[in-house]
Amino acid sequence: MSTLVKPLTPSAQGPAPAGPWRAWLAGPGVRYLLLLLPALMVVAFVVYPTVATVIHSFYRLDPVGRVTGFAGVANYRMLFAEPVFLQVLRNTAIYAVASVVLSIALAFGMAMLLSGKVFVNRLLLLGIFSPTVMPTIAAANIWLYFLAPQLGLFTHLLGDFGIKNANLLGEPNTALGALVALFVWKYAPYFTLFLMAGLQAIPQNVRDALRTEDPHGWHSLRKVVLPIMAPMLAFVITLAVIYAMETVDPVYVMTQGGPANGTNLVMFYLYQLGFSYYSWGPAAALSGLLLGGLSSLSALSLIALERRSFHWA
Amino acid sequence: MGVKRSPWRRGAEGGVLALIALIWGFPTLWVLYATFAGTGTTAGFTFANLIAAWNTAPFAEYTLNTIVIVGGLLLSQGIVGLVVGFILARYEFPGKSLITAIFLLQIVVPVYAVLIQDYQIIQGLHLLNTRVGIMLPYAVSGIAVLAFRQAFRSVPRELEEAARLDGYDMLGVFRRVYLPRVGPAAVAFAVITITYHWTDFLWPLIVTSSDAARPVVVGLALLAEASESGLQWNLLAAGTAIVIIPVLVVFAIGTRRILASFAATFDWH
Repeated sequence: MSTLVKPLTPSAQGPAPAGPWRAWLAGPGVRYLLLLLPALMVVAFVVYPTVATVIHSFYRLDPVGRVTGFAGVANYRMLFAEPVFLQVLRNTAIYAVASVVLSIALAFGMAMLLSGKVFVNRLLLLGIFSPTVMPTIAAANIWLYFLAPQLGLFTHLLGDFGIKNANLLGEPNTALGALVALFVWKYAPYFTLFLMAGLQAIPQNVRDALRTEDPHGWHSLRKVVLPIMAPMLAFVITLAVIYAMETVDPVYVMTQGGPANGTNLVMFYLYQLGFSYYSWGPAAALSGLLLGGLSSLSALSLIALERRSFHWA
Repeated sequence: MGVKRSPWRRGAEGGVLALIALIWGFPTLWVLYATFAGTGTTAGFTFANLIAAWNTAPFAEYTLNTIVIVGGLLLSQGIVGLVVGFILARYEFPGKSLITAIFLLQIVVPVYAVLIQDYQIIQGLHLLNTRVGIMLPYAVSGIAVLAFRQAFRSVPRELEEAARLDGYDMLGVFRRVYLPRVGPAAVAFAVITITYHWTDFLWPLIVTSSDAARPVVVGLALLAEASESGLQWNLLAAGTAIVIIPVLVVFAIGTRRILASFAATFDWH
């Protein structure tokens, strides 16, 4: 009989005896000790570098990166005096605006199309989300081949439409356009995932009602869907801006910033300043600017994600 | 579906989706085709390109490096996230908000903005061109800490009190009450961290100077660079295939589960 009655509470299996060692483990001292190492790691690799980046941007740095004297704003002045940097800023602005607008608009449309479907073909999903699971380097390799002059697949396709011997990566404008297209192709499905999750916030009966009351959907889109989606949209747009600003992998593989710096984006320029030209002073100044810009954006996205009270319109 | 739509419209929507899937999936199809379709004398299905690419670059070494780096980071970020997340969720103590702020800062400051400083620290520690050097700046993840803190917070206090009445001390309560209830958060964190570090490029690129520590993504980029000086495209396609096939298989097997877990994690009700 007793074998049939299984002990239901864990206590019946017997908790471990509370020795002095375990008592100390539960005390407050060990908590600080456990927090200390992780916190120190963050201080060493995030907090200290952040402070040092800002401070170093006001000092003269030798080619090895050592401080040799106070520089005031000379590093910043050197950075902005370089015409290439102004072009980099222009490139990055055009690239970021075009990439973010196109990818978010497409993602929104795809989310609307996909969210109503109870059953979507697995092959369809695999096709749409294959760019999402692919590393950007791999994607850039494939695109490099598609766009290659003469042998590229897309180049051949253009040839069939009467555009002979196109060299899209050889012209500054079309090369930047190709980078934008790669961004949209790579990230639109990823943003779709977030927006689909956001669309779930609209109750099914509201959706059904909207479909009968407002068959064309424009009114409900403006008055119902967009307001409900606003926090998620804010989060995804911030994310898109951060990703666009941090773009470096496709530049490295597809163009190396060329032709004539036409596709040199801010992150690739930072890499060049530091690791190709050993120009650490202007690199520190640029790091300082990126730090301010990217950190504020990340803080915004965090607020949007945590508080969910990020409204507009 | 509460309301029926016209079949014309459903067909049009399906057609648009199919077209998008075809365009978006085409590069993947092309890589697989260029890798496995033989040309000339070896027409049909062939592993020749894959084997040739595997031998052109030290892919075995690259893959091992990637596994060590991603696995090591998963372990260290996971353990730190669990321990710190638990302490922050469960205890009040002086200095708590300062410590929370430090971990928040880790999320807010992008590694890319402090790239040069981190490089100099790794250089100073003589860890350039090592896997540890690649991992060290990422060893602690603020996202993991926040995710687990949130998961621990949502465990009802009554469960803990019941376990205490049964005679468990804090360690026992952690193991038996809290740990079994953070599964979803752990899965979400693992997916995010694995994809991020598996595809990370710029940091491993600047830290490494030889194949000894290079992850597979950096190796592939260098292969592409070499291809501009005359490497055959088939080899590059096969190299790309080596990198993407594992994830495609995982994604193909778990498509619905992965998409559903994503929707659940970001379901803002």
